[in-house]
Amino acid sequence: MQGFVATGLIGISLGAQYALLALGFTLIFGILGVVNFAHGGFYVLGGYLAYSAVTFLGMPYALAVVCAALGTTGLGYLFERFALDRLIDDHLATLMLTLGLYMMMSSGILVIFGPQSPAFAFPLTGVIRGYGFFVPVENLVVLGICIVGILSIYGLMYHTDFGRALRALADDRAVATAQGLRPTVLFPAAFALATGLAGLTGALVTPILSLAPHIGDPVLATSFLIVILGGLGSVGGATVAAFLVGMVEAFSAVYLGGSKGALALFVLVLVMLVVKPSGLFGHRVRGA
Amino acid sequence: MSITRRSLLLSGAAVGAALAGSNTSVLAAEQELTLGVVGVLSGPAAQWGLALRGAVEFVAAEANRDGLIKIGGAPCKVNVVAIDSKYTAEGAAAAANTLAGQGVKFIIGPIGSPELTGVKPIAKRNLMLVMGNSYAKDALSPQMPLVFHVGPGPSGWADPIIKIAKQKFGIKSVVLVAPNDQGGTDIASVDADAYKKNGIAATEEYYQRGTTNFAPIVTRIMNAKPEAVDLASSPPGDAGIMVKQLRQAGFEGPIGRLGGPGYSEISRVAGGDEVLKDFYWYEPVFIDEKAQQIADDYKKLLGTERPENNLFFQWVSGARMVVKAIAKAGTADTAKVAEALRALPVSDPNLGAGHWIGQDFFGINQELSFPFGVGLVTGGKLQPTMRVEAAGGK
Repeated sequence: MQGFVATGLIGISLGAQYALLALGFTLIFGILGVVNFAHGGFYVLGGYLAYSAVTFLGMPYALAVVCAALGTTGLGYLFERFALDRLIDDHLATLMLTLGLYMMMSSGILVIFGPQSPAFAFPLTGVIRGYGFFVPVENLVVLGICIVGILSIYGLMYHTDFGRALRALADDRAVATAQGLRPTVLFPAAFALATGLAGLTGALVTPILSLAPHIGDPVLATSFLIVILGGLGSVGGATVAAFLVGMVEAFSAVYLGGSKGALALFVLVLVMLVVKPSGLFGHRVRGA
Repeated sequence: MSITRRSLLLSGAAVGAALAGSNTSVLAAEQELTLGVVGVLSGPAAQWGLALRGAVEFVAAEANRDGLIKIGGAPCKVNVVAIDSKYTAEGAAAAANTLAGQGVKFIIGPIGSPELTGVKPIAKRNLMLVMGNSYAKDALSPQMPLVFHVGPGPSGWADPIIKIAKQKFGIKSVVLVAPNDQGGTDIASVDADAYKKNGIAATEEYYQRGTTNFAPIVTRIMNAKPEAVDLASSPPGDAGIMVKQLRQAGFEGPIGRLGGPGYSEISRVAGGDEVLKDFYWYEPVFIDEKAQQIADDYKKLLGTERPENNLFFQWVSGARMVVKAIAKAGTADTAKVAEALRALPVSDPNLGAGHWIGQDFFGINQELSFPFGVGLVTGGKLQPTMRVEAAGGK
């Protein structure tokens, strides 16, 4: 029972991180129809921007996280506005563009910072212990921020005109455009919001795990897995799927072992795709 | 001035002679020998690959400084080409293929077992001599006579380290953790056998390479309630996160690492020696003042600090042995160089004397064995490295 509680807490913590990350990925797909292969790159970049701000500029960590999120937001905006937007309906071209951006980002980071993990630690330490469980304080802080971030995205998407406009564009771009919504303004904003979320997650999570140029690969794979499981483009689906993935990962790794844990996730997705190809909350597969 | 046929012929002959002379000198100056490096230059194990590349560049610079290599009696410049293997079999195979395509006959590296598995068939097909690492059970074999081993795997050094750790920390049970590929399973299983032979109960845990959050695996380890945890060949970046998460989970026992070195990066990622607390590991080379001299020479020759990881010293000794064998053979014919290498006594100006071993474990005596070290952190304080004699026998 003790291990069960501890594992559940790990699952929730993983799920919250995954949700914040996957929300950005699913926003881009749902609104723009673009599969953002650079998502893991923005996560890594967020980590390195926060690290640089703390190490080279002497900023407090909290401010560095904000700067990292803003930095990835800005880069995402510029990339969508000046590169992606021109080819937004060409799915193969956008795929190659985002993949190319990811390679440029990871290679650039490798050249600038080198391949080794820099010393980037979370400013708070300590562990809270109870009967049968323990939670590092840093994980609690990150969990709290992730939950606030997730709720903020929901608030933005479902309770503001900006969110309604984005959802209208996602539902039917032609009708939304005819109603006066401007994709050239909203698409870069949506992309920037998503890459900002990836950067924020990177800045928060890398100090409690580790920071290295290659860590975007598993992040991208996890994001993919979550949005497929949740239903492509579904914000609610991505959130539920993220927590489900976190739980499955934690429980399967603890009770079946590390290797079988990774396998369990893919079996889950396989079963889901066979039983419900559109995912947990997906209504239809978006037309290519 | 009129141009006669005679003067035209004479001037033509003079130009021809000049060109022929310059051509000879160009040919002599251009005789080159390339040492190929296949090593992991990105990802969590990059520190190992950087050490390998730095070592080979240093040995090449030494050979060029001393005019060591002569092929067919003519001086020969030694070059280095390094290609990232990405710590995968396919990455290493691609790197070896690229080197073969460039006519490179000597490969120093790779480091990990999956990489060496990828390199060996390419090397065999192209008659390349490989001075590799890998703690795999099949790293060497009589079927691959051109493959040599830069140092022994756990079969050569696990036992004395475990004896020291047992005496120091009184361990009775251990969980070994490693990636679930050949780079992890081969080492962890040999380590586990060595623990068992010393009366320590050992179980193995494996994780998917690429895992970034080890909290679930740490919880699983904690549920097993071991007295010690051994991170075996987990890359330094992964090992650092695991140490940190183990300590956060309340694990108080000693943590070992009977795999590749990487103490400095593990300590940095984990949060310092006070987080390591009680930690023991294998140092492939015992670094005394004489060994340390290599680092000073490196700075003098190449103008920068030597790579951080201590595998560097081991790769220097391995690359030096290959260069010595090429110099002795006086040819780039890899079969003749291999023959010369087998006949060379194992010795290094900085690391001292060692042995050729491997017959008992691999069936072929092509494994370099030098004195090595056991690193210790006790109570959060780094201790002087302990020297252990080179593994002998066959």
